Amino acid sequence: MINKVNKSSMIFAVAATVFFWIGGILTTAAPALLDKSWSKPAPGLKDYATLAKSGDADAKAIMEGRAIYVREGCWYCHTQQTRTIEADTIRSGWRGEKSPVSTPDEFVYDQPHMFGTRRTGPDLSRVGGKYDGQWHAAHFRDPRSLVPGSAMPPFPWIANDPKELAALTAYIQSLGRAKNWRPSGDYEQ
Amino acid sequence: MSAEDVKGPSAMAAHEDKSAFGFVMAAGLFFVVSGIYALVIAAKLQYPTLLGSVSWLTYGRMRPVHTNGMLFGWLLAADMGLIYYLVPRLCGVKLWSEKLGLATLALWITIILGAVVTISLGFNQGLEYAELPLWLDILVVIAWIMFGINIFATVAVRKYQQMYVSLWYILASILWTAFVYLVGNFATMFTSGVNQANLNWFYVHNAVGLIFTPLGLALGYYFIPKASEAPLYSHRLSMIGFWSLAFVYVWTGAHHMLHGPISQWLQTVSILFSVMLMIPVWSLVWNFFATMKGQWHQLKDNVPIKFLMSGTIFYLLTCFQGPMHSLRSVNAIVSKTDWIVGHAHMAVLGAFSFFAVGGAYYAIPRMLKTKLHSQALANASFWMWLVGGLSFFVSLWIGGFLQGLQWNDPSIPFIDTVKFMQPFWAVRLIGGILMFGGILIFFWNIVATFTGRADRPSEAL
Ligand code: HEC
Repeated sequence: MINKVNKSSMIFAVAATVFFWIGGILTTAAPALLDKSWSKPAPGLKDYATLAKSGDADAKAIMEGRAIYVREGCWYCHTQQTRTIEADTIRSGWRGEKSPVSTPDEFVYDQPHMFGTRRTGPDLSRVGGKYDGQWHAAHFRDPRSLVPGSAMPPFPWIANDPKELAALTAYIQSLGRAKNWRPSGDYEQ
Repeated sequence: MSAEDVKGPSAMAAHEDKSAFGFVMAAGLFFVVSGIYALVIAAKLQYPTLLGSVSWLTYGRMRPVHTNGMLFGWLLAADMGLIYYLVPRLCGVKLWSEKLGLATLALWITIILGAVVTISLGFNQGLEYAELPLWLDILVVIAWIMFGINIFATVAVRKYQQMYVSLWYILASILWTAFVYLVGNFATMFTSGVNQANLNWFYVHNAVGLIFTPLGLALGYYFIPKASEAPLYSHRLSMIGFWSLAFVYVWTGAHHMLHGPISQWLQTVSILFSVMLMIPVWSLVWNFFATMKGQWHQLKDNVPIKFLMSGTIFYLLTCFQGPMHSLRSVNAIVSKTDWIVGHAHMAVLGAFSFFAVGGAYYAIPRMLKTKLHSQALANASFWMWLVGGLSFFVSLWIGGFLQGLQWNDPSIPFIDTVKFMQPFWAVRLIGGILMFGGILIFFWNIVATFTGRADRPSEAL
């Protein structure tokens, strides 16, 4: 009896191991090769990392801001993806205009990716141009002063550092702008 | 497989259990520290200005210390300690090298302390569960190789030919972990965007599925028959569970990106395989329950069994939720809400921590050849954990589900859905405090078992 069980479980073992590797490869390496949209940048997408290296001051600020966003763990509370769910496109939208859903080609240069998993705060995939710089400065210093009941922590060490504040704001204002989706380019500065 | 394979053999080799004990103690200490972090960040949701002017105590830095501390400082270290305990016993030989085990322990403690310092200072790589800087990732790989060598070498010189299912899980998991960890922490360095996110979710999902699940189940398979003194119901069923786990888990990572910017076909594949996860789960739960048949009266005063069987039920619930979340219609409501947070905590704190704690309560006195400091305290820790855990999980499920419904009605301003969560977060915090009490009592109990070991010598091992 034991022998029989062992024999059939050996066959199963080999099959499962093979299947494990097929699964591992088909779901990690293969999709990127099969789906070209994962690596082909959207027409309006800027490669800020490369631009920053070539001396572009705006791109540099955006990259620094992005590093702050990573460092402070903003991404544990904010997602950056307008999903294929109607309510998402309305919530990310602007003055009755629905926002386009997020597509892989908008994120080709994101390293690390900032899609996020949890929405303790709102999705930020289309937040660029929603508020002006002054709003963000006040918001980072004390979110509840602008939005009573907010669960977002204050970031005084950023608000008090003009360089960091400018960088983080520049990054937030860049989000979702690869697709120029608002009517008549109606973005706050 | 007879009861003899699971019982008895340990008498043949004199086990030192130094590495085993050291790992469980270190894990217990990290459990306490990560628990403190947990309470602070839970409180921060209600009082966002709490410790708000100190950069290294901001929410976004404490949260990764908490998650890494719980996963790698507590749970993985506890699993490793208990594996150092049970593998030699299942093989009828001593651990291959206690020295190597203690060196692994020293390295592991260094890694966890390094993680706390680097993350607090803001050195975050920006990928979930893969936050640690490269040099720490490399140390993790080295520690894992040291652990793997010790375990494989012990199994290689074993006295008992038949390999009990726990050994299957442990050996496979050591190999899977290597692959999964390399993808999550190294392959991601060379990718970006959706491609990187896909690797990231492959890693996150399989860290749970192919590391914590098999190691936790290995503990269950060992300690449930041991602690209840009842033979495992079916060896064959355990093999079905094992190999179907290997079959289906790797395919499911993309269910973390459902409705998101990732290929539809990959989403569908992940859904199909997520649903198939029911097979390994149900076969395991059936096996554990059938093992307990006629033994349920032991639930009354056998503390390890209380933990192990409640852990089994939490495992069943967690793994029922998982496939459900992956259905597109359900996902559209619960994804990105606190429902998922409740789910994740039930998996780690409910199911797998319960297996580890139950195992530790059983094994620690035997490692020290003594008796547990206090059964009453152990029992108290169980009830605090159970009641605290249930209030925590249930409040987040209800709150998260309702918040998900609100998000799908765009006429409700987002901030109202945040305020709506406050009472649920309050219950979660209270549940967390109760669970933290359980952690403290657990830790105190094993420390006292150690310090008072000479006063309570035990005949039976
Ligand atoms: C504890 C979770 C949390 C963290 C961490 C967090 N936020 Fe927020 N955030 C929120 C919540 C809740 C709101 C909604 C209320 C508000 O506007 O303050 C919000 C709102 C925002 C908004 C306005 C979005 C809109 O559409 O109105 C921006 C921009 C923002 N956060 C940026 C950031 C940045 C940048 C960081 C990191 C430096 C950060 N957040 C960290 C929770 C968080």
